[in-house]
Amino acid sequence: MLKVAWSSIRANKVRLLLTSFAIVIGVSFVAGSFVFTDTISTRFDRLFSDISAGVDVYVQPVQPDFGTDFGPIQLSMPESVFDDVMAVDGVADAEAGVGGTAQLVGKDGEVVGGFGPPTLGFSWSEDPDMTPLRIAPENGRPPQAAGEIAIDVATARDKDYQLGDMVGVITTGPVEEFTLVGIANFGDEDNVAGATLVIFEFEEAQRMFGLEGRISQISVAADPGVTSEDLAGRIGAVVPDGVEAITAAQSTADQTAELQEGLSFLTIGLLVFAIIAVFVGSFVIYNTFRIIVAQRTRELALLRAIGATGGQVTRMVVLEALIIAFVSSLIGILGGIVLSQLLAAALSAGGLGFPDGPLTLLPRTVIVGILVGVVVTVVASVLPARRAARIPPVAAMRADLSATPRKDLRTRAIVGVIVVGFGGSLVLVGLFTSISNGLVLLGVGAGLAFLGVSILAPLAARPFALFVGWPIRKAFTVAGDLAVQNTRRQPRRTASTASALMIGVALVVFVAIFGASIKVSIGNTVGEIFPADISASSTNFTSGVSPQFTDELRMLPEIEQVTTLNSPQVRFQELQMDATGSAIEPATSEGMIFTGATPEAITKLAATDGLLVLEEIEGTDLLLGETYTIEFPNGVTGPVEVVGVFTDGNFGDFIITRDRYATGVEVLTDQLVLANASQGVSVDEAAAAADALTADYPNVQVQTKSELVADAESQIDGLLAIFTGLLALAIIIAILGITNTLALSIIERTREIGLLRAIGMSRRQLRRMVRWESVIIAVFGAMLGMVTGAVLGWIVVLALRDEGLGDFAIPVGQLITLILVAGIAGVVAAIYPAWKASRLNILDAIAYE
Amino acid sequence: MTSAISVTDAAKIYGTGDAAVTALAGVTASFEQGKFTAIMGPSGSGKSTLLHCLAGLDSLDRGDVLLGDVELGALSDKDLTLVRREKIGFIFQAFNLIPTLTAKENILLPLSIAGHTADPDWYDEVVHAVGLEDRLGHRPSELSGGEQQRVAAARALVSRPDIVFADEPSGNLDSKSGAELLAFMRTAVDDFGQTIVMVTHDAFAASHADRVIFLDDGQIIAELMDPTSEQILDKMKQLGD
Ligand SMILES: Nc1ncnc2c1ncn2[C@@H]1O[C@H](COP(=O)(O)OP(=O)(O)OP(=O)(O)O)[C@@H](O)[C@H]1O
Ligand SMILES: [Mg+2]
Repeated sequence: MLKVAWSSIRANKVRLLLTSFAIVIGVSFVAGSFVFTDTISTRFDRLFSDISAGVDVYVQPVQPDFGTDFGPIQLSMPESVFDDVMAVDGVADAEAGVGGTAQLVGKDGEVVGGFGPPTLGFSWSEDPDMTPLRIAPENGRPPQAAGEIAIDVATARDKDYQLGDMVGVITTGPVEEFTLVGIANFGDEDNVAGATLVIFEFEEAQRMFGLEGRISQISVAADPGVTSEDLAGRIGAVVPDGVEAITAAQSTADQTAELQEGLSFLTIGLLVFAIIAVFVGSFVIYNTFRIIVAQRTRELALLRAIGATGGQVTRMVVLEALIIAFVSSLIGILGGIVLSQLLAAALSAGGLGFPDGPLTLLPRTVIVGILVGVVVTVVASVLPARRAARIPPVAAMRADLSATPRKDLRTRAIVGVIVVGFGGSLVLVGLFTSISNGLVLLGVGAGLAFLGVSILAPLAARPFALFVGWPIRKAFTVAGDLAVQNTRRQPRRTASTASALMIGVALVVFVAIFGASIKVSIGNTVGEIFPADISASSTNFTSGVSPQFTDELRMLPEIEQVTTLNSPQVRFQELQMDATGSAIEPATSEGMIFTGATPEAITKLAATDGLLVLEEIEGTDLLLGETYTIEFPNGVTGPVEVVGVFTDGNFGDFIITRDRYATGVEVLTDQLVLANASQGVSVDEAAAAADALTADYPNVQVQTKSELVADAESQIDGLLAIFTGLLALAIIIAILGITNTLALSIIERTREIGLLRAIGMSRRQLRRMVRWESVIIAVFGAMLGMVTGAVLGWIVVLALRDEGLGDFAIPVGQLITLILVAGIAGVVAAIYPAWKASRLNILDAIAYE
Repeated sequence: MTSAISVTDAAKIYGTGDAAVTALAGVTASFEQGKFTAIMGPSGSGKSTLLHCLAGLDSLDRGDVLLGDVELGALSDKDLTLVRREKIGFIFQAFNLIPTLTAKENILLPLSIAGHTADPDWYDEVVHAVGLEDRLGHRPSELSGGEQQRVAAARALVSRPDIVFADEPSGNLDSKSGAELLAFMRTAVDDFGQTIVMVTHDAFAASHADRVIFLDDGQIIAELMDPTSEQILDKMKQLGD
């Protein structure tokens, strides 16, 4: 049996290549995401341990276990901790450091970085054992006084900074000018993870970060003979609450874990696309094996006739699938390695540098990759294999095999509707449960819905082909006619080929609808809840708007009213509940921020410095009139009374005052500043005036309301483009599926094509026939996908109405484009099969064996 | 006599070196217009090869085929396709029809391919002659083998080709269906003046022809005019010795 399976594989190289393409892609994504994260983790792990080579113990403020949704929180501790640590027995040496976010201003006046890699600032460490930073003699010297800085080699090179240059730096206030006195390497590297590093003299760092008298971290070296664990224990016993002592190894592990978590969105994203690719691919595989089995009916029947059992025939087909799966999985793993390299290169190009180092290919990656490939292929080939087993031995004797018995259409319809219904309900359940399980349910539900539609698709294939084929038949009489007939000949084949495309298109349509709806909603929401004329926010994620800027803004004659908005994360201690809410300035928020709270509630909020609760969760989670202890991520706690309610979920679960919020952060910066133009001043004039202030605050951008909306929309467009790009891969797989089906059908119809050629059909007409067949299948798939995707999008948008996404929008232009693209894709998919058909040797085709 | 198609010194060799097989070794023949010619010979004697070369489905290694005044060897693939489309009809041993098309559509297929419309009188006449009036809406899978071959015959005639080639058209049929088909082919020659060249193994089939050519080892070794089955069988026996 192995021999038969093997010879069949060898005889069908091209079609198997196309089949395996789907597996290769799927496995590549799976393996690629693993290799990527493993490699990055290993390299950073090494880097982190290099960094802490001379350090045994770190003493630092305890990182909160909540409130870190937007990245690590900058925490500090009193300088006195340093003396406590020095006094501990076993401490050979210790060095205090101060750090925070610091951004350089480029020579073009633009802020450097801020979106991807961190922009770090910290104090220079005098002890070379305690720091990975090195300044080579030709690169100047460390900063020793106020007004001096050093930066990393890569940033200096990229931004063309020379020693002695004056460089602008922003921390929490306006931009300040520093003299560049040194350019530092990070260990042997020019840079770490694409971060920009700004190094100050110690006290200057304290001043810049607003941490006078405080420090961020203490690096400790142990006396000989004292283990790190031991020393960490001893130090831990003497430091104050909220400060911890951890070993350098622990610190490395923590940082690596944090990094992995930071990369998890990438890993998960890649895996999701792997699942999509594999799912679409499984249709292609299923189809290929069905056709192969159909084509080999005679051969398989012969095997049965000479004594092979049905089980043996099944095993033979599955074995064939296994061999292909195994080989393509291996190729896929190689592909994954390439993919991970490409990804790293792309991220590097985007400014996110990674340390050099070897590639990490764990056994786990190989095992999972092969498992994915093999399981998917075997699952997809089992049905065709079982069909093969049911071929009666007499089929070997039958001359005409083309007439397959009609299956019960009603059963198909019922099963299809049940599967679609079940999938649809899962989607709905998924939408209304807690987020983490919800997304999985949503995915599984959508998958089932796709499966159900593909079960139903054969019912629609014949009428659809007639419908779409009508103009084709009119315009291209014979070729068009034959093409339409060919797609109608085996509706199941046409349908399952189209189904693969359906999935990709449905996902694209879903994303497009979702995106369009979000855009409409954002436009509406921003307009409704922030009616202010202009807004100011940071150009990047790592910094906020300096309160000094806000103060200057208030002084402008062109500006009438200024208020701020922040989104704090807190823990309600009694409830052990973490929540995200908003912090407003009640005195100035009127007419600028609409939360749905009554003016009385706002007044009360201001008077009591209390808390407003979202109406929806009042009574269930937080009770009106009750007092709770809230804890901020920096460890500050305080009692707060629930004094009122608000209604708009866009503001989170609660609203507190900005004054209270200020107690919960080391240094206050604002996330959003809103302002109105003065009477008689146009919005543009006011915006221009505000914009003039940003000369001193290059990280602040001023936008009018329409710019704010446009900005939000373009960010969504960017995301959509990425999703669509990745989904295009699923569509490519599906198109290869069409190529595959057609190529196989051509082989199957060799004789027919030979006959057509013999009686005078030209190669051109033949190619046209295949092309139209392909276009019909592709358009069929695209239309199925469009309907499925639109319904799915409609359900999801409707269900998310409460989340402020009630406006269902269909991007008509995009949908029409999609159909056109599908048609073109059909033409492309047909290139190879059509060429093959037109090259068939007539004599071979009509030879009678 | 005018010859519809003629071939001079036709040679065809498959493969090279030790594996070379001489399928045709210098065949010269002429096929008269409005006549029914049968080609006979043992298996492997080159009958099908000769037919394919005459019909422009295959090319000769040496020699020429002259269809009317057109030399087939000089034509491109495209022109050959046109020649087949306009001037030649085919009946193969099996798999003559496109399964997705009805009998009528199959019959009209060569005309549709050429973008011509059928002459309705001629179409009716042909359909009547093959006796398929009431089966025209059926697909091949719903027709018997004999009916399928008659559809193929009707298709070969409907475009009024200069010449019809048939390779063992009755080879897969029982004697009754075979006789019906051959009778129709005879009618086509007698009543419509059609030229037919047919390859066959069967003496009875060949007896419908005006002339029988015997091939062996790629060469013409004998010929009979207006033969009966007995004459043909005798000749075959004689040649076999
Ligand atoms: N494509 C080919 N490649 C190699 N040899 C071939 C090919 N086609 C035919 N032959 C050889 O050429 C010779 C003549 O073949 P041909 O098919 O013309 O014989 P035939 O007289 O039609 O036989 P049959 O009565 O069995 O149909 C045979 O020896 C055959 O093996
Ligand atoms: Mg032959």
